[in-house]
Amino acid sequence: MIILETRGLKYTYPDGTAAVQDINIEIKKGKKIAFVGQNGSGKSTLFLLLNGTLKPNEGEILFHGAPIKYDSKSLREIRKSVGIVFQNSDDQIFAPTVYQDIAFGPANLGYSKERVDACVQQAIEQVGLSRLKDKPPHHLSGGQKKRVAIAGVMAMEPEVIVLDEPLSNLDPVGADEIMDLLNEFNQFGSTIIISTHDVDLAYRWSDYVFLMSNSKLIGQGTPVEVFKEQELLKKTGLRQPTTLEIYHEIERRGLAYGKNSPKSIPDLVNTLKPLDLMWVEVPPGVREGDNLNLGVMYGEYATHSPYEAVNATVLHIHPDGRAIVELKRKGIKAGGVLLYDTDSYSLPEIRQILKDGEIAFVGAMGKKSKTLAEQDGIRLDVTSGVIDKSILMALCGKRCLILTTGGMVDHALKRTREYVEKSGIEFTVGVVNREDGCKWTEETDSNPEAFKV
Amino acid sequence: MTNILDDYALMSPLRHRNNWLKLVIVLFGLLVGVSSTSPITPLFIALCMSFTTVALGRAPLKLYLKLLLAPVGFALTGVVIIAFFSGSGQELLSFNLAGYPLSVRADGLELALLVLSRSLSGMCCLYFLSLTTPMIELFAVLKATRLPESLIELSMLIYRYIFVFLDMALSIKYAQTVRLGYSNFRRSLNSMGMLGSTLFIRSWEQGDKLFLAMNSRCYDGKMTLFEVHRPVRAIELLLTSVYFLSALALFYFTKNISII
Repeated sequence: MIILETRGLKYTYPDGTAAVQDINIEIKKGKKIAFVGQNGSGKSTLFLLLNGTLKPNEGEILFHGAPIKYDSKSLREIRKSVGIVFQNSDDQIFAPTVYQDIAFGPANLGYSKERVDACVQQAIEQVGLSRLKDKPPHHLSGGQKKRVAIAGVMAMEPEVIVLDEPLSNLDPVGADEIMDLLNEFNQFGSTIIISTHDVDLAYRWSDYVFLMSNSKLIGQGTPVEVFKEQELLKKTGLRQPTTLEIYHEIERRGLAYGKNSPKSIPDLVNTLKPLDLMWVEVPPGVREGDNLNLGVMYGEYATHSPYEAVNATVLHIHPDGRAIVELKRKGIKAGGVLLYDTDSYSLPEIRQILKDGEIAFVGAMGKKSKTLAEQDGIRLDVTSGVIDKSILMALCGKRCLILTTGGMVDHALKRTREYVEKSGIEFTVGVVNREDGCKWTEETDSNPEAFKV
Repeated sequence: MTNILDDYALMSPLRHRNNWLKLVIVLFGLLVGVSSTSPITPLFIALCMSFTTVALGRAPLKLYLKLLLAPVGFALTGVVIIAFFSGSGQELLSFNLAGYPLSVRADGLELALLVLSRSLSGMCCLYFLSLTTPMIELFAVLKATRLPESLIELSMLIYRYIFVFLDMALSIKYAQTVRLGYSNFRRSLNSMGMLGSTLFIRSWEQGDKLFLAMNSRCYDGKMTLFEVHRPVRAIELLLTSVYFLSALALFYFTKNISII
């Protein structure tokens, strides 16, 4: 279903600079959209057009198939439905306290006092700022201000959230938290539109990408399609995403194979060809054509490898005693990614899981889960880029537990399952404290699944 | 970062108490302190208010004394002059300074002490308010006093943007300093001028952006202010009444007492 659409959109600033020209886009409901382009390519102006703040000189904008009208009642409707988060939080947060700023939108919609309070409480909890609600904004950090700005928009319960450069001026942890938040909103059905010049982010995160350059739309498609086009990227003054670039270089050297473009580090790792041949020291008396079991020895060559080399065939013995062997491998043990929904949280249960499930790696996503873990002294190995890291650890045969909550549980589950499906590497995935959860702890002794390489 | 008084008020545990109660306490202190005829009552009030601010309001003692130093120093100079140049009663102390006879008389000293204690009690009352009640709590009070809505809205916006512009001014000043903008007097004047004009233009732009931001959240010309309901608790009421009664009693019994 198409939620937002523009037709022949054109806007020129009063001083004569053309900000956007001839923009035709269709945005589908529930998608994650990224507008990518350099500074000054017209992204911000387009966003202001999308919620009716600016009126186009030519063309029209359709919301749910009906053209936006510019009388004050229709504008209220569209601004309630399309929330916009500005690049600089200080431009957006103007009330003296966090609570009052978030309450500004719902109050303007004419809600009753109780309803405003309910909206604010919900939004403030979602962004994890309940403790700071009476603080003045100048006492907050950049990341916290950004979350206040997002909560201020969320409190109006918009269908589409538009964020102009949501990660500018944020540190990596703060940026991760914002992205987690956006993923969660998306999981609940909101359409998210961001603008960015960070190609890595757009490539990794979005479902659909629009490329903008010099106030024009010059390309669109899924991230894989768009970022494959080197020429197009050059025209916009952008570079290829790092993972893709690394993948191409590795592929060119014949060390990777696979047709799809890897999006994340786990995807990238999955394209790597395992070593077929390697130099090993062999005991005297071994002849060419013999079979060797390197099982234990292999540990010396690759200590963190998830594989065990069985039945290495000796192909050639060098005069100095070393030999070239061809390896056949088998996974040592299957790892897994286990999710724990902190909505129904109990510390003894987690301790039990950590002990019985032989969990080697614990991560937390979302402010609430992190705070819980901190309070109860659960050691967290990772708090940012949690899903990717957990998949990587699972690939190495470790068992990971991710503490998370609400919509992020489904998001993490979906991401991990997708990976298992796409890569063909099997490891256990499931939510431990849900009814249809996985019976992980009982499986501990069962046979490890082989890695399909 | 520099802490301003408002920051201490924000961190104070008394911030979350009823604003009206605090205002009544302050008003009471001011009125009783000023109308008292002996220095004992104002001193009692000053002591109580200081204790509340520092012990219950958790204002740092060092900061509090430093804050008091400025007005007290000012009051002291005035008091010395009053002590020497007014009154007519019994002579307590006299000497010649460069040929001029100077003397302190009993009722002059009495008056001086009264002035000192009154100003001290007034200061302590006001510091109690400013160190336990941040500006953001006072907006609700302002609203209840039926000041025009637009005035309150403006003051809320101004309060917020003071800090934005303060940050901006500091970073501009820093940028100027590292490029030797304040190396001599002439350059300092020049840099100051640039700082001022840049701030003016920036605040103009900020106004535009603010309007945009408010508009995109359906601004319809009215900012709603949500007052947090904070009931007065029994223990607070009790303490306040004890304080009020003892101050009034002191006021009554020291009416005609002179300490010298």
